Amino acid sequence: MTPAQFDGLMPIVILMGIAVLLFAGGHFVSVLLAPKKPSILKQTPYECGEQPVGSAWSAFNVRFYVVGLIFIIFDVESVLMFPVATIFKELNEVGEGGYALIVFLSFISVLIEGIAYCWKKGDLDWVKSFQVSNKK
Amino acid sequence: MFAQLLFLLSAVLTVGCAIAVAVTKNIMHSCIFLLGSLIGIAGLYATLGADFVAVTQIMVYVGGIVILMLFAVMLTGGKDFVSRAQNLLGLAPSMGNKWTYGIGLFVGLVFLLTNIKLLSNIMKSYPAKTFGNEFPSTVSQIGHLLVKEHVLAFELSSVLLLGALVGAAIIARPRKQ
Amino acid sequence: MNQTLVSYLSQYEFYDVLIGIFGKNEGLLAFVIYLLFAAAIVGLCATIGGLGTYAERKISADIQQRIGPNRVGPYGILQFLADGVKMITKEDVMPNTADKFLFYLAPMLALIGVFATLAVLPWSSGFMMADLNVGIFYLIAISSLVGVSVFLGGYASNSKWSMLGGLRGASQIISYEIPVTISVLSITLLAGGMGFGTILSQQQGTPIHWFIFHNPFAFIAFFVYFIGALAETNRAPFDLPEAESELVSGYHTEYTGMRFGFFALAEYIEVFVVCGVGAALFLGGGNLPFNVQFDIIPLQLFQVVIFMTKALILYYVVIWIRWTFPRLRVDQLMSICWKYLTPIAIFNLVGNAVWIVVFNGKSIADLVFGGH
Repeated sequence: MTPAQFDGLMPIVILMGIAVLLFAGGHFVSVLLAPKKPSILKQTPYECGEQPVGSAWSAFNVRFYVVGLIFIIFDVESVLMFPVATIFKELNEVGEGGYALIVFLSFISVLIEGIAYCWKKGDLDWVKSFQVSNKK
Repeated sequence: MFAQLLFLLSAVLTVGCAIAVAVTKNIMHSCIFLLGSLIGIAGLYATLGADFVAVTQIMVYVGGIVILMLFAVMLTGGKDFVSRAQNLLGLAPSMGNKWTYGIGLFVGLVFLLTNIKLLSNIMKSYPAKTFGNEFPSTVSQIGHLLVKEHVLAFELSSVLLLGALVGAAIIARPRKQ
Repeated sequence: MNQTLVSYLSQYEFYDVLIGIFGKNEGLLAFVIYLLFAAAIVGLCATIGGLGTYAERKISADIQQRIGPNRVGPYGILQFLADGVKMITKEDVMPNTADKFLFYLAPMLALIGVFATLAVLPWSSGFMMADLNVGIFYLIAISSLVGVSVFLGGYASNSKWSMLGGLRGASQIISYEIPVTISVLSITLLAGGMGFGTILSQQQGTPIHWFIFHNPFAFIAFFVYFIGALAETNRAPFDLPEAESELVSGYHTEYTGMRFGFFALAEYIEVFVVCGVGAALFLGGGNLPFNVQFDIIPLQLFQVVIFMTKALILYYVVIWIRWTFPRLRVDQLMSICWKYLTPIAIFNLVGNAVWIVVFNGKSIADLVFGGH
């Protein structure tokens, strides 16, 4: 890697370092200035003034997981499309636009097929997923 | 100078967080240490000059896989996610007895030695690469490879992803009672 | 090739003088330059974020025919400083059932994710800290740390409101990342590169050369991007993660004092960043409306002003939308993302690819007026 290219990574590290330092600094100042009078009532999780019932850490709906799964597939597809999109114009200028278009469109068509399948089967629905599963 | 610093930083982050993943007793904390480890690996890719792969690492793993893991952990619910079983020298939560540890250690050693044996030849035949001033973007190189030489792999990967999508949707779908 | 702030400054004579001062140690000089510039940018963005809270309250007051904050300083403009001081001096309360480690970590992750995006934000054609080859792709990737931090903030509090807000937030942020990414792909297709330098150099000249007016598909892509960006930054009408009328305050219900301040700061800076990216990708960024052959520092500063004007106009629209539209329901939120925005974004992508091949990469302006 050339020095110039490598320099491009330095601001990222510096900015991340600034974020950490700012957080630590803010905490330090807050510890110095802020009052510290903890009490049991202050430290209960807010539940509109009632005594909290049980822990908030419990099993939750599977929908969030389904959304995460579908997201990852699309994420990977878009990652694969980025390099091709980058050189698409370049290929078009050397007269290989038609070929590139076919490659690109056939890739996208499979993606569209995936989203159409999920749509048809009701995996994209938020509410109806239980009724849909009983459908044929 | 900065290259070495970046490498050290990434390597410490990767290895340190990887150890923390194994040692910590809380599964949510493990997930977050894994996040740190994956970011460290992205940094290692960046030091190798593979900018696109580094960003892909962040995009797919940090943005996707870790969140999915957090969702998956929450899916199991339960009162708390802290493991109380401590076997390995009282340090890490783990299962097994001295036989499983012994076999694990043996397999690990064999694996390590084989890798060293295999990789040492490769490393000798490829000297450290120095890039000139005209280092072309890896993105367009990857793009050309995907469109020209590996176009079949590119198209098949979309079919593979379609299969993964359908499989994920079917597995996660609520069952009929 | 990657261009950086240092390689840009090195074309001026004062750089040689600086090199002399630093005893030929270019690495150290680069570090100092980046550090100073990063501190300046963080300061600027913190001010913008602070003024954002003020602007939000003032504009909402205007829309609702109230006066809004008017006590601290002229027209109440120093209100954000008063808020900041108040946050520092407030007691730090943490629920005793909370996961302490993650409770501390969540705001820090949000700050890291947002600050890291500032490295590639194109203030002007020269004042870019790093014009990476993978610029916009990097920005999308690293800002997903905010999604993790939202989830962790909700989880670590061990409060039911926070948990619901965190879950909603994480699933919303990852869902809307898809239409945003595909819209950005359209621009990558048109510009032939992911670096902000490449993207901006294609949009020089009068507004008709901006990518938003490149072709009809790019025009739609801008709105898809903007709606997706609203949702990714948890802004109304997509503010379900912190819906104050149903979830108290969402994932930061249990956060007080400084840590709450950091969450708020990260959120307001992120809004500015997505507005800036929208301005750079679609609205020509800091490009001057005329061609300049020479390159001097004052012109660069002028570009910074143009870029900030465009970004702040978008910022105003974001605030305006918040006080105009009612909030969505969760199921509507998800169906808008997966059933409307994503298919439209894919359609735009296909449209852009076909347009490039059919019209040989020319924009509407090129076709009408000739040129290029």
